[in-house]
Amino acid sequence: MARGLSGWLAARAVQAMATLAVVLILLFVLMRIAPGDPLGRLASDRPITPAETAALRARYGLDRPIAAQFASYVQGAVRGDFGTSIEYGRPVGALIAERLPATFLLGGVVLLVNFTVGIWLGALQATNRGTLLDRLLTAVSLAGHAVPSFWLGLVLAWLVGVRWRLLPAAGMQNPLLDPDAGLAARTADLLAHLALPALTLCVVSLAGTMRYQRRAMIEVLRFPYIATARAKGVPESQVLHRHAWRNALFPVLTLFGLWLPILVTGAVFVESVFAWPGLGLLAADAVGARDYPLLMGTAALAAGLVILGGIVTDLAYAMLDPRVRAAA
Amino acid sequence: MSWLAQLWAAVWRRRSGRFAAVALATIALAAIVLPPVLPDPAAQPDIVAGATPPASAHPFGTDQLSRDVLSRVVSGARVSLAVAALAVLVSMTIGAAVGLTAGYFGGSVDALLMRIVDAGLAIPRLFILLLLLAVWERIPLPALVLILGTTGWFGASRLVRGEVIRLRHEPFVSGAEALGAGRRRVMFRHLLPNTAGPLLVAATLGVSDVILLEAGLSFLGLGIQPPTPSWGAMILDAKPVLVVAPWTSLFPGLAIVVTVLAVNLLGDALSDVLDSSGA
Amino acid sequence: MIARRVASVCAAVCALAGQASSQARPPGTVVIVTGQFASSPVPTTMEGAQSTTANQELSDQLFLRLANLGPDRRTADERSFQPALARRWERIDSLTIAVELDPRARWQDGRPVVANDVAYTFARARDPKIAPKLANLLRHLADVSPDGDRRVVFRFSRAYPEQFYDIVFHASPLPSHLLGPPSAEIPRDFIQNPVGSGPYRIARAVPGQFIELAANPNFLFGPPKVSRVLFRVAGDPEARMNLLLSDEADAIENVPGLVENVRRFSEAAHVRAIALPSSTMGYLLFNQRDRVDRSRPHPILGDPGVRRAIRLALDRQGIVRATFDRFAAVPYGPVSQLLWIREQSPAAEGQNLREARRLLASLGWSDSDGDGVLDKNGMPLALALSYPLTSEVRRKIALLVQEQLRAAGIRIELIRLEGAVWNERRTRGDFDIDFSSVLQDPTPSGLTQGWSCDGGTNVAKYCNPKVDSLLERAISDPRGGGATWQAALRQIEEDAPAVFLYAPLNVYPVSRRLHDVRLRPESPWIQLWSWRAG
Repeated sequence: MARGLSGWLAARAVQAMATLAVVLILLFVLMRIAPGDPLGRLASDRPITPAETAALRARYGLDRPIAAQFASYVQGAVRGDFGTSIEYGRPVGALIAERLPATFLLGGVVLLVNFTVGIWLGALQATNRGTLLDRLLTAVSLAGHAVPSFWLGLVLAWLVGVRWRLLPAAGMQNPLLDPDAGLAARTADLLAHLALPALTLCVVSLAGTMRYQRRAMIEVLRFPYIATARAKGVPESQVLHRHAWRNALFPVLTLFGLWLPILVTGAVFVESVFAWPGLGLLAADAVGARDYPLLMGTAALAAGLVILGGIVTDLAYAMLDPRVRAAA
Repeated sequence: MSWLAQLWAAVWRRRSGRFAAVALATIALAAIVLPPVLPDPAAQPDIVAGATPPASAHPFGTDQLSRDVLSRVVSGARVSLAVAALAVLVSMTIGAAVGLTAGYFGGSVDALLMRIVDAGLAIPRLFILLLLLAVWERIPLPALVLILGTTGWFGASRLVRGEVIRLRHEPFVSGAEALGAGRRRVMFRHLLPNTAGPLLVAATLGVSDVILLEAGLSFLGLGIQPPTPSWGAMILDAKPVLVVAPWTSLFPGLAIVVTVLAVNLLGDALSDVLDSSGA
Repeated sequence: MIARRVASVCAAVCALAGQASSQARPPGTVVIVTGQFASSPVPTTMEGAQSTTANQELSDQLFLRLANLGPDRRTADERSFQPALARRWERIDSLTIAVELDPRARWQDGRPVVANDVAYTFARARDPKIAPKLANLLRHLADVSPDGDRRVVFRFSRAYPEQFYDIVFHASPLPSHLLGPPSAEIPRDFIQNPVGSGPYRIARAVPGQFIELAANPNFLFGPPKVSRVLFRVAGDPEARMNLLLSDEADAIENVPGLVENVRRFSEAAHVRAIALPSSTMGYLLFNQRDRVDRSRPHPILGDPGVRRAIRLALDRQGIVRATFDRFAAVPYGPVSQLLWIREQSPAAEGQNLREARRLLASLGWSDSDGDGVLDKNGMPLALALSYPLTSEVRRKIALLVQEQLRAAGIRIELIRLEGAVWNERRTRGDFDIDFSSVLQDPTPSGLTQGWSCDGGTNVAKYCNPKVDSLLERAISDPRGGGATWQAALRQIEEDAPAVFLYAPLNVYPVSRRLHDVRLRPESPWIQLWSWRAG
């Protein structure tokens, strides 16, 4: 079995590399075909002479043929050099690295809440199907789902941050806090800043996990083997834990794989409303500014997570159900 | 046809199904009947007064441009509902077909299809849309629906595939195969109805996503352009006055919430019906 | 049970947070929220993507200019400038100016500021490979040579009244003793930790979040009273406003001067609003040529009568009031509130719908098919108005314009575009009406770029040789050219190449704990060193 699994993983890794390569080539070509270029933003609100444009194109390496640009990009990327951002004038790798902590912190909290609280609530709804609790949770979670995240974010920032002044209205840390302050003070500061963006994202995303889990659980519970187990007198809690859970996890696992890349790109509006220094906003800005190197960097990271999400999901399927392994 | 009628009757028997159907029918009916008796949704009678709170002349208030919010919500239903229903239908159909094929056949078919899905998920949608913008000055509504549908199925296909992989080895599938049922029969008669659960959830949750996405597209210069109202665009337009004039975004927001709730209840009722009849 | 536990956790977080969020600033500390992070605030490096206001404004805290604009911003009058690194200046002839440095001026490392530093900086600034933007601005400068340690002589290749403005405004001197040869790039270390001559130096920078400045005790004009400044970054104007309204910040910038926004901070007791002339000017630009075949005139807008009729049909005063309340004016000619020439201009023409209809009828436009839209020879009077979706102001005004022109029988199709796409189409000339907005330098000489026949940004191909010669005469008039500027503006208004819609004021909400606050339109925080923070 161990060899089967490692063989499977190796095959998937090869596929992943090929997919990533294709995606990156496509991206490189697509972003050049897409209308607009990195100098567009400069020219939009101030006069810019043709001589200046030519000098800048040469500076950013945009005057060479696309194939040559791609070749040097690949050469650099192989060495771990992802180019220099046009907009920020700094290495793309460093820019992404300094945004990762904020991104993973916010995204991680949201994923964690979804795949613990969300699953638990969904299962709770399934086992109490049709009751007032079920209907109430459905209505509340769906209302949260239908609200645009920027809208909820603005309302929370205004109410909690401005009106009541309970939590900071924006940012990730209090710049007045002494950088040498103790760990406790800095953690408290961080949590206070994290609370509202995390709450916003959790509210708008929870309905997703809850609905899938509820539906999957309901379907599993009507399977013959559950009835058999019940008929045999297996206690209800054991029925749920041994049989129902395992099978009901499939959709949620798929969802987890789908949401993994959301870590990078999913929180643009919330990052914007709360001035949270994450990657989503960086990536969105890179698209707007046509900052080609930065755009490639963030898109490659997101693509990597998409592919990783697929592998993790398949791996989890195999763990849950031994029969799947033969097929996968 | 009679199968559909039976399904409908079964849904109608459930209280939640009835509620959902009535709510959706009311919204659709209002969108058709009310516009002639309401003020012109594009008229700007008093631009200096701007957004005014709900009052008897304007039950939902007016927006920053002094336009009547009620008539905009009502006429916005047309675009939003049509786009949501059709785009979701398109993407769920493609998603189900791809997921079913990949999950059932497995092996290299699965690998190929899923790598295509990976690529689809990995390339930011914005690029594709910007490319369309380069070639198309004005995108007609049906094309917009198609764009939303054909770029929105990747997630659904993975969900369906996951379910098919799980069910493939269940006794009822292998039983059917042993009895000599054809591939098509196994896929559509036995597997598809049992993956309807996640598919329906994806579809019903997708409704509000698509409504907001349509607004995002119209902001990019694709899709419906002002002054034609849509719910999503109303909310986006109201962003700068969210705090000063909350009613401008609250009512279109409520319209989306009610729609999503109704669609989900309808989905629940449908899958309940399928559960009790299928397998 | 769980609910109780959740509630207690919430209470704990809020308690911690309440303590953390009381971001009271100690006396002498000022927090300002800007829209962008300044990543390269060093003169001669703010080129291309780095030519941002964030960089320029931070640079103004770190580096002192030779002289500053006077209160009336007369760019053509060298006597109205105020001394900074330069103690006095002297005009030798129409092509030569000598500048004498203040002997007390010191770099932040203690070394004196010398004539060589100035020559070094201009050697960099005039090199089109290093600084293409500056090199273009300084194109009439022929030579910069030190004369001893304190005196610098500037020679020009052309006589014009804004020579001194060009010397002092664009490039603040750099410390040559800390940098390599003028042709080399400025090292990353220096850009992250610049040594300047200004009131502040960078004490700490957290990329993407904030930059902390500390006072320079040896500052030429005395130690700054505000000892610590924090420039926080929040890209979203709503986030900036929230930080100010929640009293976590003292001042914010670049919030659109929309009525709704101004109303929000005028309701906050701890804040007062300061309005300043803005360099922004918004206008509807008419394409003079066919969108596809650029050699042919535009089928509808090629006719100046139609252009004037569109202007007459618009209630510009109403649009400005509905959008900015009292914080904007309708400009006469392409003139923002920053330019001094606006003071001598007449009021802009008001709305006259009847006259607009009459004018269009006299040009052969009538509604022959009764669909509410005028037509002529089977061609409807329908035009596309394109604008970028990023601008809240333009998004709102475009809708007002569309509705007002509908009443005049003109159908406007709105095309909102992603910024880069909008700009590409605009540059290509692929538009009927373009909703443009420009940021003007304090000098009116920039008008040639957009409104002379071969101007670098004249995308609509407007061309009137009479305007060209008037602008040229005004720029080189040694007395400043007041009347000639007005004649040029009158001719532009007459030709109606655009409808000039709004010239706003910038509204800066500032916390009441700040005193002696003086903001400058060309760089709002430049006098921050003289404020007091209670």
